[in-house]
Amino acid sequence: MWIEVLSRYGEVAARERVDAAEARVGRAFDNDVVVDDPHVAPHHLRIYRGEDGELIAEDLGSVNGMYPEHGAKRVPRLPLAGEPGIRIGRTTLRVHDGAHPVAPERPLTPPRAHAEWAMGLAAALLALLLLLQWLTLTTEPSANVVLLPLLGFATVLALWSGVWAVLSRVFFGQARFSLQLRIALTASIALVLWDQLAESLAFSFAWREMAEYAGLGTWALLAATCYAHLHAIGPRHMRAAMGIVLALMAAGALLQYATQTETRNLLGQRASLGELRPPAFRLAPLATTDEFFERAGSTKVKVDRARTREPSGGLLSEFENRD
Amino acid sequence: MPSRISLVTAGLFAASVAISGPPRAAPPDSPAHAASRPDAVEAQAGSQAGLSSTAERVYEMAKPRILQVRTLLQAAGRQTTLGSGFLVSVDGYAITNYHVVSQFALDPRTYRLEYLAPDGARGPLSLLAIDVAHDLAVVRVDHAAGLPWFEFDPRALAGKLPKGERIYAMGNPLDLGFTIIEGTNNGLVDKSYDERIHFSGAINPGMSGGPVTAADGRIVGVNVAKRLDGEQVGFLVPARFAAALLERARKGPPLVLDKAREEVGRQLDGWQAAFYEALRTQGFRSAEYGPYRGLESSAPWMTCWAATNADQIPKPRTAVNTTRCSSATGVFVSDRILTGRVDLTYSYYKAIDLNAFQFARELSQRSGGRLFGPGGGKRLTEQECRDDFVSTGGADTPPLRATWCMRAYREFEGLYNVTLLALTQDRSREALLAQLTMQGVSHANAVALGRRFLEAIRWAR
Repeated sequence: MWIEVLSRYGEVAARERVDAAEARVGRAFDNDVVVDDPHVAPHHLRIYRGEDGELIAEDLGSVNGMYPEHGAKRVPRLPLAGEPGIRIGRTTLRVHDGAHPVAPERPLTPPRAHAEWAMGLAAALLALLLLLQWLTLTTEPSANVVLLPLLGFATVLALWSGVWAVLSRVFFGQARFSLQLRIALTASIALVLWDQLAESLAFSFAWREMAEYAGLGTWALLAATCYAHLHAIGPRHMRAAMGIVLALMAAGALLQYATQTETRNLLGQRASLGELRPPAFRLAPLATTDEFFERAGSTKVKVDRARTREPSGGLLSEFENRD
Repeated sequence: MPSRISLVTAGLFAASVAISGPPRAAPPDSPAHAASRPDAVEAQAGSQAGLSSTAERVYEMAKPRILQVRTLLQAAGRQTTLGSGFLVSVDGYAITNYHVVSQFALDPRTYRLEYLAPDGARGPLSLLAIDVAHDLAVVRVDHAAGLPWFEFDPRALAGKLPKGERIYAMGNPLDLGFTIIEGTNNGLVDKSYDERIHFSGAINPGMSGGPVTAADGRIVGVNVAKRLDGEQVGFLVPARFAAALLERARKGPPLVLDKAREEVGRQLDGWQAAFYEALRTQGFRSAEYGPYRGLESSAPWMTCWAATNADQIPKPRTAVNTTRCSSATGVFVSDRILTGRVDLTYSYYKAIDLNAFQFARELSQRSGGRLFGPGGGKRLTEQECRDDFVSTGGADTPPLRATWCMRAYREFEGLYNVTLLALTQDRSREALLAQLTMQGVSHANAVALGRRFLEAIRWAR
């Protein structure tokens, strides 16, 4: 049987092999496994095989007792067949027997693979951005107009990946910058494509709300990106970290939604045609004049309802009052 | 090039400058003083011809009949706006502009009205009738027994005042004291939906609602506005509207102050009904914009201006030719609401060396011009819009990308500001962007004109 003593961060601090039928755990030096924890008794527990051969932990009369790893209820005896973890004092132990299954071997990523991927993705992103810049260029082309946004984009990407690499170095031991960069590049491509898709759909279906609330999709993509970055750092503590990331993203999305709603309540929608595409992008069927005015009647219903409401104050009212 | 017309009440800003500031006499050597010399010379020349003696006589006669109309803040007891007015009947009825008393009419709990006569007498004024469309109001001076009053000039009532006749505008400009200004009657303004007399003479803030008389002291009009981009271009409301409102105030039921806001709403609704009816009766014709056609009003008061970017440097990548027709009407409702305008704008875009995507981008940037519709602040609701692709039917109509946007007037039920945008969707490197803007319009009239506007967008060949 193997007994692992975990550190406070959940990593294996010591792993002892015990060949005897029974193993004793405690702070005293005559134990099979010695645990340096003031809240552990000198002879805290013994682990032995029960009648069926399964491993059982038994409290030897300690002050602080014994708990299952994830349980809050003190137990005098603990069968370890299902759940191998035991908590004594402030220490967690895990007991495995030789037949304990381990995860399959993970193929090793070749050292330069992430870097090569990152290069490829960077080239794709650059091509995409250049294409978009060219398609939206309505003034005389100039190097500054093209290069400045690209330079800004590259700087932000490098900084973003760098921060994740530092986090990775701290918590995982390896920076793995190229892996973080690869994730950031993939995310950038997804974000740019989402932006274009949202704008195109808003045009194709004459669907204004799509453009107005596309920001929420952006936040979802950002959350997914952070998840990928965290996952690359290491699966440990994912749940807590993911909780924080999700909370931050939700706060961001909420803030954007609130601002959007605030703007709409104060100023309403813009009397503009929005982002246009070439006419061939139209997917919505053509309405007849009657249908158009009938649908446009919904705006009358909305503003008539707004008439009876008190005008909203708030964040932007100062700006509005200057009209 | 839109004209800039200013109503001539002295507002808070102007009044406070004039009253609280130090006397602003120009030093003798300043350009201002130098510039004023030729006028002085001219005035002397005029007196030799005996003209100013007429003014002297007119002012002498008018003096007990003119008033300064002050809107006071109820709580502070101080003036917020100043205008002028004049007595027109034995029982103390006086005429002024609606815009002079609009704050009081819309909010009688916050404001009150007071008059100040040239002899220093002052007292309360009550509001009897308003005519928002012609910018007139009838007020009454209490205890006016024994005061003389003005009579209307029968020639002015019949609209037969000769062009070029000397007429005399009176009032209290900038709260500097009662003043008489000699000017010229230049008849009715051309290309204007509202009947306005063009008065060549200096009308200044504070003179709004003041009388304009002929040499015999009879009323020919009421001071109302001036152009800011011209010199001595003033506007008067013809006397017959004042006479008609006076008649209405005498015979009709008196204005219930608490319902004045509803009365303003009713008059605005009546104004827009008449205006859109007139627009319809005047008829429309089709105008060419590049390979497209669009709507153009035949009404003489829809004035059109064209603009192009052909002469731009550096050479533009999209050719733009814009025609904008505007009714140049403006109905003053309150200091925050000026309504009653119709605008029809057609811009024909043709890509010179842009591809279809770049051209679409260019159009996106151009179609966002007026973001949230013209001002109005909290007095209008937020704007709501609806986008669609539309085919108006018929063989010669291009498909359209159309946007309909609306804002409602909070205080006036059934009145809206509407913007309708339409962009042709048949070619990828040229397009007609058409915009119709209507202020203070009923939904039915907006839809009627909007429909006409959309259906008029056709291929020229």
